[in-house]
Amino acid sequence: MLKIAKDKLPELLQAWAGGAKVFVPQDKGGVSVFLPWEGQGNLTLGEGNTLEPPKDLFFPRTETMYRYQVQGKEASLIEVPSLEEKRVLVGVRSCDARSLLLMDDVFLTRGYVDEFYRQRRENTRVVALACTAASPTCFCTAFGIDPGRAEGVDVQMWPVAGGYLLEGVTEAGRELLGQGSSLLAEAGAENIPAAAKPGLAVETSGVTEKLQRMFEHPYWTAVSRKCLGCGACTYLCPTCHCFDIQGENRGNSGYKFRCWDSCMFSEYTRMAGGHNPRPSKKERLRNRFLHKLQYFPERYGKFACVGCGRCLDRCPVNVDITRVIREVKEVTL
Amino acid sequence: MSSIQEQMRARARELLTRGEVKMVIGWEKGTFWYLSPPAFITEPEDCDRLVWDEFCTNNLAKYLLDYKFTEDKIALFVKGCDSRGIIRLLQDNQIDREKVYLIGIKCPGVRDGRQAAALGEERRSEAPLAEKCRYCTHPEPVIFDELLQDEGGAAIREAQATPEGRFAEVARLEAMSPDERYAFWTGEYDRCLRCYACRNICPACNCRECIFDRSQSGWCGKQMQRSENMFFAITRAMHVAGRCIECGECERVCPEGIPIMALNKKIIKDLNELFGEYEAGVDLEARPPLGQYKLDDPEEFH
Repeated sequence: MLKIAKDKLPELLQAWAGGAKVFVPQDKGGVSVFLPWEGQGNLTLGEGNTLEPPKDLFFPRTETMYRYQVQGKEASLIEVPSLEEKRVLVGVRSCDARSLLLMDDVFLTRGYVDEFYRQRRENTRVVALACTAASPTCFCTAFGIDPGRAEGVDVQMWPVAGGYLLEGVTEAGRELLGQGSSLLAEAGAENIPAAAKPGLAVETSGVTEKLQRMFEHPYWTAVSRKCLGCGACTYLCPTCHCFDIQGENRGNSGYKFRCWDSCMFSEYTRMAGGHNPRPSKKERLRNRFLHKLQYFPERYGKFACVGCGRCLDRCPVNVDITRVIREVKEVTL
Repeated sequence: MSSIQEQMRARARELLTRGEVKMVIGWEKGTFWYLSPPAFITEPEDCDRLVWDEFCTNNLAKYLLDYKFTEDKIALFVKGCDSRGIIRLLQDNQIDREKVYLIGIKCPGVRDGRQAAALGEERRSEAPLAEKCRYCTHPEPVIFDELLQDEGGAAIREAQATPEGRFAEVARLEAMSPDERYAFWTGEYDRCLRCYACRNICPACNCRECIFDRSQSGWCGKQMQRSENMFFAITRAMHVAGRCIECGECERVCPEGIPIMALNKKIIKDLNELFGEYEAGVDLEARPPLGQYKLDDPEEFH
């Protein structure tokens, strides 16, 4: 167990920045987001979770997949450069650390490996930061997540008086700590602070089985009435991973890109002939909850929610997944 | 006299029991004390869910579009800004006046839920006025079928609200150089997630199908990047030009905190200067400056 003084943290980030691009929560126009560390910046490590989850760093909002060029009758493809840049992601909370493991399931398993995701994921070391205080909207423990220790990370950090405790979890993590050895002092593990107690609680057991029998239930009409059908929940969600692939064609050249998409939008399921199997917000909102609480558990054996609370914090009309889980369990079939 | 909340519940119950309306749209308590999201009541026994407190922020007018093609009459509680949303929808021929029953509330201004949460419940009374209420010019409903009576009497607008400061932010942005202004707006809209919350809450955004839901049309790419984000922002601002009722909901619902109203207010200010003072959604008969042509129009018509 190692310790660093709070005012030395920028130096540690700087040391890591020597061999990698470092991303850390910083203030940008009044909101906390993961931004590259460029020697100085307004760190927001002590102020709850970031507004946006780190998923954009692995699965960007928009990315070019390939370019093409047409000359006469010949067409040639131009591959995008491989994503070899080494990165260190600092200040990831336990909920978001879990979300990366869930995204691994989607992008790396079941017979297909998404190369864009794989390269970014393999080239990134994750330094987690434990939560000692929870936001009112937090409910990570409902999904078996420990706010005091993240899963699948390289280094675990804990905030303590005057600084941070650090523990190298993987070989790569210990190597990172080695790079900052002059800034780090030995510390006792007894100083690890108590983990936060999330403010919201919800019991998830049995919800998947109940949902399997509720597809046509009138509950979905009632719960969707206030929904605006915007994509704020899906775009701020650390586990929502739907994307669209489109092309931009300019004369003899163009590119294919993929970008985030949202099941809350009408275009998401609209067929070429105009038919839409999810014609209203009722079907779209139902899909969002079924994906998180039924389809994903059926496919991967895990819920696709990590209890970060971003959706219910930013939903303009307070659509609350914890309330939906409770109500689903209560409705009569 | 009973409180606004008691009157609300009583009136909703009467209207539903007598079958005069099929649904009442108001507000109820949400997950936290600082949230009062929209409520949709169809049964008389559910009317006690309705609340009236300082967090009844949502403009409810837009929900009427969800029931546009039903025959049912719907009752709606309207604050000043909500009622202006109703005028917007009526002027745009989106709803039938006969199918809506409007219960007006003189609004003292709602509080900022996010800032209230930060202060904590014990300091609830100190929560500042919501940004959207700070420059409110019409706290009283401009259209209604009945008006609930408040306990206090006439003086209702908070001393904090100063309509005079309505264009202060616009003036600040106008004073910037073009490069500074470009840097400001691109900085803001680089964060835009294109979640369309601003559009979806807006009573002026009532197109049957929005061009941003037709990415294959080629007008605006689906890429979340500067050029497409700016195209979205400018297109929406110009499309609500002269029609924005200044309810401020677009800015409130933006998950990224983009100051959308500064863009809308810039256009309102320009329209006032070009065509004379006009407030959208106040007078059902007053035609919007960009929705009419006069022979003495300052712009020549070629």
